[in-house]
Amino acid sequence: MKKLWDVRELSTIAILALEIAFFAWYLWPGEGRSHPFLNPANGLLILKYSSIYGIAAVGAAIVIICGGIDLAPGAIIALSGVVAGGLFVNGHWGLASSTGAGMLTAIACGLLSAALIVFVGLPPFIATLGVMGIARGVAFIVTEGRYFDVSGALPPGWRLAGIPLDWTSPILMVGLALVFQILMTRFQWGRAVFAIGGNAVAARFSGVPVGLVQASVYLVSAALAGVSGIALTIVQGQGKADLAMGYELDIIASAVVGGASLSGGRGSVVGAVLGTLIFGVLRNALPQISGATFYDRLIVGLVVIVIVVMDQLLQRRKGVHP
Amino acid sequence: MEAVAFQHLDKSFGAVAALSDVTFAVRAGEAHAIVGENGAGKSTLLNILAGSLHPDRGSLVLGGAPVALASPRNALARGIGLVHQEMLAFPNLSVTANIFAGRELTSRFGWLRESEMRTRARDLLARLQLPVSPDASVDTLPVAHRQLLQVARALAFECRLLALDEPTTSLTAAETDHLFRILGDLTRDGVTIVYVSHRLPEVFRLCDRITVLRDGRVVDTFLRDAVSHDAIVQAMVGRSIPDRAPAPAPAADGSGEPRLRVKGVTRRPCFEDVSFSIAPGEIVGLFGLVGSGRTELLETLVGVQHPDRGSMTIDGRPARWRSPRAAARAGVVLVPEDRQRQGLCFNLTLRHNLVLPAATTRGAILVRGSEVGTSATLVRDWRITAPSTAITPDALSGGNQQKIVLAKWLALGPRVLLLDEPTKGVDVAAKYDIHGIVLELAARGTAVLLVSSDLPEVLALADRILVMREGRVRGELAAGADEARVMRLATAPDSVRSVRLQADRGAVS
Repeated sequence: MKKLWDVRELSTIAILALEIAFFAWYLWPGEGRSHPFLNPANGLLILKYSSIYGIAAVGAAIVIICGGIDLAPGAIIALSGVVAGGLFVNGHWGLASSTGAGMLTAIACGLLSAALIVFVGLPPFIATLGVMGIARGVAFIVTEGRYFDVSGALPPGWRLAGIPLDWTSPILMVGLALVFQILMTRFQWGRAVFAIGGNAVAARFSGVPVGLVQASVYLVSAALAGVSGIALTIVQGQGKADLAMGYELDIIASAVVGGASLSGGRGSVVGAVLGTLIFGVLRNALPQISGATFYDRLIVGLVVIVIVVMDQLLQRRKGVHP
Repeated sequence: MEAVAFQHLDKSFGAVAALSDVTFAVRAGEAHAIVGENGAGKSTLLNILAGSLHPDRGSLVLGGAPVALASPRNALARGIGLVHQEMLAFPNLSVTANIFAGRELTSRFGWLRESEMRTRARDLLARLQLPVSPDASVDTLPVAHRQLLQVARALAFECRLLALDEPTTSLTAAETDHLFRILGDLTRDGVTIVYVSHRLPEVFRLCDRITVLRDGRVVDTFLRDAVSHDAIVQAMVGRSIPDRAPAPAPAADGSGEPRLRVKGVTRRPCFEDVSFSIAPGEIVGLFGLVGSGRTELLETLVGVQHPDRGSMTIDGRPARWRSPRAAARAGVVLVPEDRQRQGLCFNLTLRHNLVLPAATTRGAILVRGSEVGTSATLVRDWRITAPSTAITPDALSGGNQQKIVLAKWLALGPRVLLLDEPTKGVDVAAKYDIHGIVLELAARGTAVLLVSSDLPEVLALADRILVMREGRVRGELAAGADEARVMRLATAPDSVRSVRLQADRGAVS
């Protein structure tokens, strides 16, 4: 069995804990006032907004472990959101059917990516860059720049299966992360994803259906982006074509910070979700520090580099020679 | 009973025929060797057997019926396992996951039966006497263990036919013995073995029958007990068309300071303690099979890789360079083996390719007029057939591409020229031209180190021949040595002493 200290996610958890401790100390309020960062409402806020990234990061981690890259999630988040939101608000479709339509749109994007990569043989970067443009473009065409007021159209006090609205997407994130963590570590499909990422030629010689697994990975990523898009529409209460701009890079960064290697074969779904929490805390806490407003992108960039460099040094110390 | 029969297989890559009309059969339960020189078609044949290449014509007969193997998955399902020459392991996965990759033991929905796989992996490792934990990550294992892991995979899948492609290239003698004991056990259990190797002693030790391939054709299949080592070597190297190479230029007298002197150069695990010297105007051939360390040696001499130890002098001055750029400034250039990957920039025109080394190593300012002039001169001098120097190299034949690679370095007027397979994949006429260029350069005083798997070429051009095997120089032969003798030195691990025919020319220390 693995030793506890070999579990890569532990270091991500440690970084997250350090980060929370730092901001709790730095933002410690004066006597008698409530803590602006360390309070339950703010915690929920961080979870709520991180979960949009987190759900999509589950898919991004799987694609990266498979040795690929997916640039489409941000655009798919926006597209599935406006499709579901538009049909619900303007089309007067039911909640289930408009959500279903949003998901189908996302899955269609995933099919397109998969077809371009597996059948046409495009490099994943190019294929998903194209799909990203197409999805974003369609979102703008469909909405003609308008936005759909989803929260106004929902019945007041509406909740999904008795869960308060704010809790819906964090719970979805945790649930999906656990499901896919188990799929990736305990099922043949996940093993095949790791094998292809580690050595695609060897996987082919071992009888792994490489094309099929690669296709499935981009489908999963797109579908998860669809879930994330619908969650975002509900969280924000609106569907808009320019939502989630640039999310794809934050999502990829989260997966990498969570231990995924862009050369494939290494990483974890839970790690990627923890990575989005690291960034979620940063995005939440930095604006509360006076004067830090202009530094937040810089700090995010530095954090990515520092964490990945530390990870590589640790790998080297363990005597890994790839 | 035949385990597998190849019937009239043809396979071409572009204009190169890798296999033509290959017909022979492997009997069930035998150990059958396929031997041949580099490029004889052995790997192509194995890849067809493993389902990763498809023959252009002809068929594969398995258990009496012709089959079309669509993919490796298909071949595995029919009990054909391949232990690949390159390390086909998953460095990111555990030993257990490597053994079962692609054929995991699963319950419904693909749930992995981890504990069962681990138990079976432990048994397999015990059977192979591999002191490795089933949970160890493969990237922490030494190379030899990774290779044996491939055998464990084949055992786990209960392959009926196991094909091994040069499985011992990275194994020590003890590890090779270990592998052979296991293969012996397997044949006793009725597994058919197809064994591809350059190493004839191994082949004679393991295999019942030996099929020799040459230039993509089957020469013959021999019974081990009815054939000698020398007869196999003859069958491997014998050529139907004699190569026509110009007569070598008279060698330099060898007095005075050698142009290049290499002493005790070592880079583990590629080569060890290599020493030799080359006089001005001398052509020294360096012959060795793939994996003998010759390409790595050249890359070290030119500064692409750095040696663990050893020294080098050029015209008596110590040379220590860190990059090909520094080496080129010192007058040492390498014409690499793979012109597609290492020799040419396919996005640039011939003109830009031709002036690239001169421009980068001398830091010259690019002047269009002189570029045009220089490149036109080079094209004319080296008899390169090209409509213009403004086209990209992909429009040229392999031979002319190779001449461009040579010419771009020769424009620098090198003092030491290192050639790695200079005529690989070029037509006979271009080969003749290239030989002419090499001889002309030598006549002007350049010291040439020629690495080639084409033995007749080495014999025709070189004044002396160094033979490398397993990272060491195993002997030195005079010009005009016979092929079989060189091949024996290059293939036989034991019994052959380092032969020195020329006592006083250069030095193998």
